[in-house]
Amino acid sequence: MERKISVRFFPYLMSGLVLLLSACAGQRTASDANREVESRVRVPASQESEGVQVFPLQNSAVQELLADATGAETSGDYNQAAVLLERALRIQPRNPEILQQMAEIQLQQRDYGQALNFAVRSYDIGPRVGEICNRNWRTISVAREHLGDRKGSVEAEQRARNCMNTKPQSY
Amino acid sequence: MSPVGRTFSLMSKGRKKITGKKRSTGKRAARKKTASQKNAVRRTRSRKKTGGGWIGRIWRLALLVAGICLGFLLPWVTYLNHQVTTEFEGRKWDIPSRVYARALELYPGASLTLKDLEIELSVAGYRRKTNAGRPGIYRVAGNTVEIYRRAFRFPDGAEDALRFSVRLQSGKVVSLRDVESATPLDLVRLEPAEIAAIYPLLKEDRTLVKIKDVPPLLLTGLQAVEDRNFKHHPGVDIKGIARAALANLKAGRAVQGGSTLTQQLVKNYFLTDERSVARKVNEAIMALLLEYHYDKSEILEAYLNEVFLGQQGAYAVHGFGRASLYYFDRPLEQLEAQHIALLIGLVRGASYYNPRRHSERALKRRNQVLSAFETTGLLSAAQARTAAASPLDVTEQPRSRGTRYPDFVDLVRRQLAQVYREEDLKTEGLSIFTTLAPTDQEKAQRAVSQGLKSLYDRGLSASLQAAMVLADTDSGEIRALVGDRDASRAGFNRALDARRQIGSVIKPLVYLLALEYEADYNLLTRIEDRPLSLKQPDGSLWTPANYDHVSHGEVTLLEALTRSYNQATVRLGLNIGISHLLRKLEQLGVRVDVQAVPSVFLGAVELTPLEVTQIYQSLAAGGYSVPLRAVIAVQTADGDELVRYPLRMMSLAHREAIGVLNYAMTQVVEQGTAKALPGLLGKQLVIAGKTGTTNDRRDSWFVGYTRQRIAVVWVGEDDNRPARVTGSNAAMRLWAGLFRELSIESLDLRLPDGASWLWVDRDNGKLTGEHCPAAIQLPFVDGSGPAQLSDCLARTRDEEEESFWRKWFGKKN
Repeated sequence: MERKISVRFFPYLMSGLVLLLSACAGQRTASDANREVESRVRVPASQESEGVQVFPLQNSAVQELLADATGAETSGDYNQAAVLLERALRIQPRNPEILQQMAEIQLQQRDYGQALNFAVRSYDIGPRVGEICNRNWRTISVAREHLGDRKGSVEAEQRARNCMNTKPQSY
Repeated sequence: MSPVGRTFSLMSKGRKKITGKKRSTGKRAARKKTASQKNAVRRTRSRKKTGGGWIGRIWRLALLVAGICLGFLLPWVTYLNHQVTTEFEGRKWDIPSRVYARALELYPGASLTLKDLEIELSVAGYRRKTNAGRPGIYRVAGNTVEIYRRAFRFPDGAEDALRFSVRLQSGKVVSLRDVESATPLDLVRLEPAEIAAIYPLLKEDRTLVKIKDVPPLLLTGLQAVEDRNFKHHPGVDIKGIARAALANLKAGRAVQGGSTLTQQLVKNYFLTDERSVARKVNEAIMALLLEYHYDKSEILEAYLNEVFLGQQGAYAVHGFGRASLYYFDRPLEQLEAQHIALLIGLVRGASYYNPRRHSERALKRRNQVLSAFETTGLLSAAQARTAAASPLDVTEQPRSRGTRYPDFVDLVRRQLAQVYREEDLKTEGLSIFTTLAPTDQEKAQRAVSQGLKSLYDRGLSASLQAAMVLADTDSGEIRALVGDRDASRAGFNRALDARRQIGSVIKPLVYLLALEYEADYNLLTRIEDRPLSLKQPDGSLWTPANYDHVSHGEVTLLEALTRSYNQATVRLGLNIGISHLLRKLEQLGVRVDVQAVPSVFLGAVELTPLEVTQIYQSLAAGGYSVPLRAVIAVQTADGDELVRYPLRMMSLAHREAIGVLNYAMTQVVEQGTAKALPGLLGKQLVIAGKTGTTNDRRDSWFVGYTRQRIAVVWVGEDDNRPARVTGSNAAMRLWAGLFRELSIESLDLRLPDGASWLWVDRDNGKLTGEHCPAAIQLPFVDGSGPAQLSDCLARTRDEEEESFWRKWFGKKN
């Protein structure tokens, strides 16, 4: 009798357990994506690039939109952050900072393909040196890792460190 | 169906569900009621039975009649009840979807002329006055424009009305200012222009209002004029009927209606216009039933949205929300007493009292309504007097309802058709936010119509047709689209549907493929421009000739591309392979179904102007492919985001080769087949371009891009007959006509990682020094640069080496 009951309840128990686990897992990855951007992109980039700041000129409209986007991001509304960044891109389509922020938003939304593309774009038209370059490559590294490109990810991390060497332009 | 489509249909189902429960309880209640009526009848009979014989006979007769009536009436009432409840609860007006242009962002530094700003404002329905005292008005004073922007629900959030001023100088916004608080602003959006509405089949136009948003005076005033007893009557107002009957009797004809608001609604809703006793009876029963089942406020809200208040062309204006926009160009909540009175007056006869056509009648009627407001105490005598003394205030013309830019809207419909059923677009009251820039669109239309006219003046056919697509390179957002020489004509949309051979417009892709083989090719690699004959699949020989019927011998890749040499291109293409070219087209976002024959290298591929734009967008953006978009977001009638088409990009491989190619394409304009372009533009800028001409000069193409804009133009005859057009004599002229009017910047020729600028000797292609004779700077994919040094550079290097040694060891000098 006792055994029967346990057999009967086993599936419920298991499904409950699975639900519980998946709930935990879900929560963890959501905040993980968010933490990942801080711990693996922004913090090391700003630490490593002390003194090497190459910031493009920004107009006040773009600054306002970037600030709003950061606000939306902080409150977890990545969709709205992306909308605001897209507005900023309409004003300055080739501003590497906006593109990199977009890449970081995509990272947090776990759209790694888009994160990769925006970060590469930011690097292509950005200064290719200093903090933003570092963030570019760190984003690329994280995105590649999630996309299963382990080797590419390690390479990108190496590139991030190279951002601190101001290499001579070859003509 | 896509996930988006699914949510969409779920939502419309969900809306109906809410009322399902209510209906069944209503029916039950109705059944109960008829049962109790029966009981009442039985009770009466038992009481009267004590009466005499003839009374009994009469009674039996009456009973018979009553029985017949009941037997007939009961199912009839049940039927009507069913009709009323299902119709009313499932009521869902077909609301047209509205299509909006992009919202113009204003910020210090933005490129904008006063003329363009005024076009934007006028397309958005703003009127220029001497005082910008209320939303929808602007005022110009010197180079400052004061705009009272209406409140608007943008796709990313609602914004209140805002009175602000813009100062313009030499084609730029200098500053923005909030007029009320007198503080500077960094960023303001204009209200986007409504460029089209997608209407239901039933030609009704409507803007839904909720009863809580309606000005109180409209609610009370409507009752004061149409149905004073509305609050209390059960759907039919006996006193009202009596009053009307008396008046009609006196006049000898029907002059007054005793209809309650409920009856009017029922009539509009369920019945035809036929005047008969039967209809009147039905109307009364249904009105009673409606009142029995529903709140007064629900009935009133339905009435407010249902009543007919005007006619705009083929479309009937229904409801106060739409009428307010139609007559005053203001939302309902901004109306004043005299405006509300005018609209209420129209209930009696919208065409008879049409204020645009019969202003005196309308004024008289409005003032009657105002005095009714006064007698019922809704307005004080003073208020009524002021209101009656004010002008009608109706705008001269309603905001245009028709589609302004049919070709662009056609593209919008098609993009949405991938997600929605056409029926939903016509009925769900969606707000569709698009990428169209009205000023750019107006300029594109003018460039096409005036361009074709001047081609005619130059001796070309009067029946030439054209298409033009203008997009932002980095976002892929389509700013303008023209598909006919007469842009107001909605018909064959050549920008989307004219599939024509693209001729030399394909060539840059052949050269791009070559540049991707950095070991074999750079821009200075020499290839042969000599006659050749190729056997085609059908056995015939194909011997391509150059445009000038001259073979140029050994030429560089750069020369062959900029001068568009056919023989050199086919030879180069054969080395690369047709399949590579076809695959490249697919990578760039275009699906082609074409036989792999060598004539493909010369553009024997049929594409539409939109597809050509898609191909070149990726190149113009430096190797980032973005799907061209016309729609950014779609909102439901309640303001929820239904779908968004965000910016998504795909980075292409070999971006370094694309960087090199972009330079080569600027040389097409600098010294090649498009070298007349700077003259036509009247500007010296770095522009990339490519001309295209097809066999027998049937098609003329031009693709050109600057830093932020790309446009593709096609010119030819609809029936594909020879048209004596070439890329540079027709399409390029139209392109120049557009870009002359746009604010443009030089193309950004910065190379991505993996390509670099090198100094080379113009004459022999050897690596050289900046200071050397004949030195020019050219872009090279890394690893493709010339191996040999020019004599000058070799000498310099020797000297440098020598000086190095001297510096360290040769102190004796």
